[in-house]
Amino acid sequence: MTTLAPPQIRASEKQSNRRQQTLWTIGLCAFFLAAIILSTWVIGDAGLSPVLTQRNQPPSLAHAFGTDWLGRDMLTRSLHGMSLSLRVGLLAATVSALIATLLGLAAGTLGGWVDAVICWIIDVCFSLPHLVLLILVAFAVGGGTRGVIIAVALTHWPSLARVVRAEVLQVNSSDYVQLSHRLGRSPAWIARHHMVPHVIPQLLVGLILLFPHAILHEAALSFIGIGISPHLPAIGIILAESMRHLSTGYWWLGVMPGLLLLLSVKAFDWLGENLRALLDPRTSQG
Amino acid sequence: MALSLKVPAWSIGVLLLGQVLTGCASNSTGSSASAPASNASAEQIVLAIGGESEEGYDPTLGWGRYGSPLFQSTLLRRDENLEIVNDLATNYTVSEDGRTWTVTIRQDAQFSDGKPLTAADVAYTFSKAAESGGLTDVTVLEEAVATDDYTVELRLKQPQSTFVNRLITVGIVPEHAHGPDYARNPIGSGPYQLVQWDEGQQLIVEANPNYYGEAPGIRRLVFLFTEEDAAFAAAQAGQAQVVSVPQSLAVQSIEGMKLYDVASVDNRGLMFPFPDEGSKTTPDGKPVGNAVTSDLAIRQAVNYAVDRQALVDGVLEGYGSPAYGPVSGLAWEEPNANIEDANPDLARQILAEGGWRDSDGDEIVEKDGLKAEFTLLYPASDSTRQALALSVAEMLKPVGIQVNVEGKSWDEITPLAHSNAVLFGWGSHDQTEMYNLYHSKAAQGDFYNAGYYANQAIDQRLDLAMGAPSEAEAIAFWQAAQWDGQEGFTAKGDAAWAWLVNLDHTYFVHECLDIGQPQVEPHGHGWPITANIASWTWTCN
Repeated sequence: MTTLAPPQIRASEKQSNRRQQTLWTIGLCAFFLAAIILSTWVIGDAGLSPVLTQRNQPPSLAHAFGTDWLGRDMLTRSLHGMSLSLRVGLLAATVSALIATLLGLAAGTLGGWVDAVICWIIDVCFSLPHLVLLILVAFAVGGGTRGVIIAVALTHWPSLARVVRAEVLQVNSSDYVQLSHRLGRSPAWIARHHMVPHVIPQLLVGLILLFPHAILHEAALSFIGIGISPHLPAIGIILAESMRHLSTGYWWLGVMPGLLLLLSVKAFDWLGENLRALLDPRTSQG
Repeated sequence: MALSLKVPAWSIGVLLLGQVLTGCASNSTGSSASAPASNASAEQIVLAIGGESEEGYDPTLGWGRYGSPLFQSTLLRRDENLEIVNDLATNYTVSEDGRTWTVTIRQDAQFSDGKPLTAADVAYTFSKAAESGGLTDVTVLEEAVATDDYTVELRLKQPQSTFVNRLITVGIVPEHAHGPDYARNPIGSGPYQLVQWDEGQQLIVEANPNYYGEAPGIRRLVFLFTEEDAAFAAAQAGQAQVVSVPQSLAVQSIEGMKLYDVASVDNRGLMFPFPDEGSKTTPDGKPVGNAVTSDLAIRQAVNYAVDRQALVDGVLEGYGSPAYGPVSGLAWEEPNANIEDANPDLARQILAEGGWRDSDGDEIVEKDGLKAEFTLLYPASDSTRQALALSVAEMLKPVGIQVNVEGKSWDEITPLAHSNAVLFGWGSHDQTEMYNLYHSKAAQGDFYNAGYYANQAIDQRLDLAMGAPSEAEAIAFWQAAQWDGQEGFTAKGDAAWAWLVNLDHTYFVHECLDIGQPQVEPHGHGWPITANIASWTWTCN
């Protein structure tokens, strides 16, 4: 795609190198993200307790991200928050991928009024601002951490469903699928044997690219203070809290967790792009 | 698709950049604020001290219940030493039986619409307030009668020593201009009159030309209703001259502004549910009681284990004082009720004597299979209470009490407030509040005596104090209710609460503004500083 950097075009002269590079990137990103998710088990809850004598300390060796207004270790808080976000993202992406595949396949293969209804649902979801939809769902299911998770999980499928549907429609019009129809195969059989293999690469990449969306939306919801108790470590809460202290010059409260969020989201982006290059090299080279 | 999904990756970058820029921006204003571009003068000042009354400005519905109604004036008021002095009243007497208060009022008082203020308006205000049953509690009033143009008789159902506080806090409204929309268009005899109120944004008031007292030193006041950090930023930019800031921001300095650190009885404490779990319910069916906090040893251990001075230094940045009861610093405080706190060893001993032991080695004590564990609720929007709740939970860990802290909105806290510990804040110049916090009859399923504390001996003392003929004579009974050497509701006795701290209210005030000597302030977010606002002066040209 156009957004891919020039080095990769140059690298096409040396296929093996580029392939290695892609694999390396995928490995590194996956490792980084897994490390964040698992970090909470390694570092434990100790840094989450207030230590009033160590308030507002700038980053140092003992506290790489500094400490906050209650003397809590910001590295521990940020990692806990990021880990929660990633787990919410994982759940949301999985649920979204499932819903999107089901609806996309149904719309593409069955066609007719089924297609019309599913397209209508997708359009309705798109017509609402996403954040508003999130807030509505979060409130409707009773708020709290659970509300945030359900809202994020249930609202990210439409874009992916649309992509899957387009892919299915394209495959549907190809000769061998038409032939399969004539041979009397049922739509379900065709969907399973002819569509799914074509859709899987798209789905995998789409799923990974949904992650940053879900993570940012989880952060956004906790940022505006829906549901989660404000002393719990969620990345949005941490960032919202840091806003209060910016005028006092405690820059590390916002910058360090912000960087962590930026890196995590970017890691998913790289992961998705490189996975696409690996699975679908033809389109990747433009 | 790829493009649309890429957006968030850099949008968070923009957010981050935005944060960094804001950080830089405010830092640079901080350093270049040597001469704040101030447009303030005796003509107009801007105050960002919060205190917007969402219900409007009708004293009969509760406006000004902590004093200083601004638009209206009161019969009496408290001066900076909290002594009671005349305002509208020229004299008042209480009958032998304590049931009839006769007040004569000054004859030169006018409302801001030019009509004279008479005894009929006073009688109307008190009858109306009693009728509406608002937040100003005048239910004890039987009738209010104007015996002539400038004399009014307030007849009570029974004697009440705290009734003088009603004379101090209830602003007098005009009978001729009072109606349902009065709260939005207040007309009164106070030093200022309303010009404009943009709800949620600002309130503009101007000096009342018909005010009977000395004309206010500042002609026009603009109250900004913003978040505390926005208020702080406004002060740094020289756009506000009086700003109330949270204690965490008071450690900063703003050039051209002085920090006022005003002592208050605005306290914070842990309210414990007193009865055992499941023993009763509130009138609307909410559960009352808690198995753990109903145990005296737990409540006393919490009181002794908490290091209040560390809370003051750590959470309030030193702008506060330890609280051992609900009325610190007032004349009716019982000094002997104070305890030596920050004593985990004593707390552990109290727990052991109460039968609490850690038998399964999880560092939490148990008694008859019940873990010493309770939930502590705090309002999610209040960062000071959040910090207090978390710090207290941390201080109780070493003595073996597990506190689960949860932040919720007030709507969510209300139904849970009788069966869980809650971090409340109170503080009033009116002893009625103490009565309502501890008297068993005050427990009606709302925030008064939310823990359903009940002790007949204490009830009796509170009733005696309430029925005393005057405030001065009631003091001995108020003190006995707190602690008399044997009994009391404070830590040495029933320990119905674990009071933690009294906040100091911190304000940044422009160097050119003389706000006089502030009084020990009651609960109330910023507004109490306006108690003497009519005598503020601008000292620069």
